[in-house]
Amino acid sequence: MNRIAQIALLLLLAAFLFAPFLVNPGLVFIAGFALIQIVFALSWNLLFSYAGLISFGHAAFFGVGAYISAVVLRDGHGIHFVLVILICAVAGAVAALLVALVVLRRASGVQFAVLTLALSQLIVVLIGYSSLLGHDEGIAAIPRPVMEFGLFTLDLNRPLTNYYFVLAICLLAVGLMWLLVKGHMGRAMQAVRIDAERAAFIGIDVWRVRVVAFTISGAFAAVAGALLAPWGQIVTPDYVNWLQSAQPLFAALLGGAGFFWGPVVGVLGLSGINYLTRTFAGLSEVLVGASLILVVLLAPQGVLGAVRQFARRRGGGNPGGRP
Amino acid sequence: MTTLYLYAVFNGVVLGMAIFLVAAGLTLAFGIMKIFNFAHGAFFMIGAYIAHAVTGQEASSLPLFLGAALVAALAVGGIGILTDLAIFRRLGNVPHEYTLMAAFGIMLFCTGAARIAFGQSVHAIYPPEAIGGFSNVGFLVSHYGLFIIASGVVVFLVLEIGLNRIWFGKMIFAVARDPWMADVIGLRVQRLKLASVAISFALAGLAGGILVANQSLSLDLGHSYLLLAFCAVIVGGLGSIKGAFIASLIFGLAESLNSVVLPTMPGIGSYALLIVLVLIRPQGIYPELSQ
Repeated sequence: MNRIAQIALLLLLAAFLFAPFLVNPGLVFIAGFALIQIVFALSWNLLFSYAGLISFGHAAFFGVGAYISAVVLRDGHGIHFVLVILICAVAGAVAALLVALVVLRRASGVQFAVLTLALSQLIVVLIGYSSLLGHDEGIAAIPRPVMEFGLFTLDLNRPLTNYYFVLAICLLAVGLMWLLVKGHMGRAMQAVRIDAERAAFIGIDVWRVRVVAFTISGAFAAVAGALLAPWGQIVTPDYVNWLQSAQPLFAALLGGAGFFWGPVVGVLGLSGINYLTRTFAGLSEVLVGASLILVVLLAPQGVLGAVRQFARRRGGGNPGGRP
Repeated sequence: MTTLYLYAVFNGVVLGMAIFLVAAGLTLAFGIMKIFNFAHGAFFMIGAYIAHAVTGQEASSLPLFLGAALVAALAVGGIGILTDLAIFRRLGNVPHEYTLMAAFGIMLFCTGAARIAFGQSVHAIYPPEAIGGFSNVGFLVSHYGLFIIASGVVVFLVLEIGLNRIWFGKMIFAVARDPWMADVIGLRVQRLKLASVAISFALAGLAGGILVANQSLSLDLGHSYLLLAFCAVIVGGLGSIKGAFIASLIFGLAESLNSVVLPTMPGIGSYALLIVLVLIRPQGIYPELSQ
């Protein structure tokens, strides 16, 4: 079963690698968006599945990255775009750290979710005031950057280069999160999620683990946002509001919370439904809604959970997927 | 200057009551089912569309307007019974986060279905003539605003008395506190849950029917009230009707005074207030049903 999971993962990677040669440009565009959403959803899942925190305002950190990179690209400061992404990551981390220091001390559970929601909505309102950030209309027609690497130049105005750049950064981000989750920090986070009191007894600083998890998660969300500006070329407050914050929740639960790769499956499923129903107004919402309800009723472990259960029943072998 | 503030206060109370009409059903659903019913806003919107379908653009008389609101309440309450039988009842053993996703799914489903059924257009709705006028008491008081305040107070009194003073309310409380124990002493837990879910949904439909003329009718109607109603439910103390009533008034006034005190920064007051209030008192004003 583990082997099947590995093969599925490799097939998925190959599909993303060869996408520009296999499908039309419209689908490649959607694939790029899906990659960005995957990083965003995984960053949220770090909190949810590993640290046990439900954030309802995660789009705020996505927005921090998206707006910083959009403003820098629009104003043409000539800053190297890789540096811009790093700046976004740091800014996202600092914003998340500040939020964590204030919110985590006072609230948990539902109150935590509501406070993060309120903070992100506050940011949406503030963006509406700012002419630097383009009020409610957002920033449109963002120019794509050209990067000098000494030996070679990456011109993101070329569609192929642009796609592979996004793919490379997303793979890097996913890889870093995978290492984090499998390492010492990930174990500590899981211990805190499963039983905070026991974790404290065996010497884990619960409060610090939660703050660090929130900070790291904010940084990755900001990186995902930073990629949106050159890929979609438009950044609007819609990317910061609560419906965007709910996307990772859908993706994680649909694919299977508790699995590292759950949100990936979820994002692909949601993108697929959106793509197939794009011409019918209303139908896509009905289908996404119905599939969420069906997943909750029929497979409360998500798609990957259902697959694992099926595999166990058939072979009785090792549990597949990776928790 | 004073009249400006008085006018803002009046509008704040009207908005507060409008928020409460939505928040009442929401807080009841949370108290009894322990889930955040994200679909509440969507059912509120459906109630408004049903009322619009009954009365047309302008109801010819006040009884017809009230009748339409009642029809909306009954219809949405009926949908609530179906939703409970088909979905909520089966969520008993499912983790908390997943019930949230089910509610979100229902919301999306309803919004999409409404888009297909009612179309994208925006309708302007007027209150019936009997409550369409204005009185001048130093500032203009709309009769429709007074009607909303009266509706809010009536709904509050009915719920507060019904839940705290009448046998039926006590049974619902018992089920909300401890379903297992309520079952042991012979209450029909499933049936009571079904009844309270139906009441919660009917309240959403009623709110839709009453508030349909308060703004233009469009598919986004649910969102505009839902977030403020959520704020009120959280700050009021999850599951408490009294708390939701007070918190709704606070948020209505904050939203309205915001436009007078900080006219250049619209919409910031309620979120800032929410953050401050939750940080000061995370458990809410009346943390009775939530535990």
